[in-house]
Amino acid sequence: MTASEHPSDRLVPYLRGELAAAERTAIAAHLEGCAACRATLADFAVLAERLARAPEPAPPIHWGAFRAELREALARRTGQAARPRRWSLGPLPAALAAGLAVIVLYLAIPGQNARLPRGDQALVEDSLLASQLDLIKDLDVVQRLDLLEDFDVIGRLDRLEPSGTS
Amino acid sequence: MEQTDEALCRAVANREPGAFDLLVERYQERAYRIAWSIVRDREDAKDCAQEAFLRLHESAGTFAEQSKFSTWFYRILVNCCLDNRRRGRGWRRLLVWRDAADDERDDDPIERHPAPVEDPGAHVDEERQLSQLWDAVDGLSPRQRAVVLLQCREGLATKEIAEVLDMSEATVRVHLHRAFASLRRRVGGKR
Repeated sequence: MTASEHPSDRLVPYLRGELAAAERTAIAAHLEGCAACRATLADFAVLAERLARAPEPAPPIHWGAFRAELREALARRTGQAARPRRWSLGPLPAALAAGLAVIVLYLAIPGQNARLPRGDQALVEDSLLASQLDLIKDLDVVQRLDLLEDFDVIGRLDRLEPSGTS
Repeated sequence: MEQTDEALCRAVANREPGAFDLLVERYQERAYRIAWSIVRDREDAKDCAQEAFLRLHESAGTFAEQSKFSTWFYRILVNCCLDNRRRGRGWRRLLVWRDAADDERDDDPIERHPAPVEDPGAHVDEERQLSQLWDAVDGLSPRQRAVVLLQCREGLATKEIAEVLDMSEATVRVHLHRAFASLRRRVGGKR
């Protein structure tokens, strides 16, 4: 380092004692003969000291709330929190839904039921009955229909053959 | 005996209960302070500090212990802050201006202005000087501010700052020199 070459970007590391011995000696020699660098170094030292002891300028925050928010964010990110219901289906639920739709369509087509085994057909009938449960709303009408059937039987009593004669 | 930061980080990687909370408690104030010194906004600084902890939780297993835990964590933190700066979130400042004003009103005036124990004139002078200094720090670029504050406030060596900011030591020295020269031009260095 020549006398005219100022060690500008090494002044702060010099202040902090971070330089190797040879470099430190060279800078000390330069400072001996350079009033400008001495003044810069002195000002840098004051600035560094003031920055270190200046009161904390960051506005205060509530640390309990900080940690609570952090825990919540961590739970969201790691999937531990209850996830909100999403309307879009993933690939597996979508495949299941499609499969179910095919089954329902198959059962709904007339004539398809005839090919079902007896047990399965009963299941289908139950399902159809279940789909008409709103008839229960009209239960009194249904009961009256039963009564009409009874009247029909009474009206035809004389024409009925006794059991065991056929 | 108190666990070292490095041991706690290993415990976080192994998902040992309580380890993450301990590290957060140990570093929360430093993280927020450094974040605030870079982003200069309370909500953004809080978000950056929290994001840094979340990234720490995710990547604790990658901490190779070739550097100190603090250096590794500060690197995560500063990256969060620089990402935040790049995204630019001026809109939020417009939305939260009222909150900031409320906070100021909520402060206890006695807490804010404790009784002076020395010459009040000297205290005011000192406060004005420090206020000017922090205004000048505000005027630095985010990287210059980070370099200066990591060194002066957090006591990191040039080599550690280079690791945190992912730059060469020579670049850190240039940033440091430019930052100090800028502060000197704006506030001077005399007491």
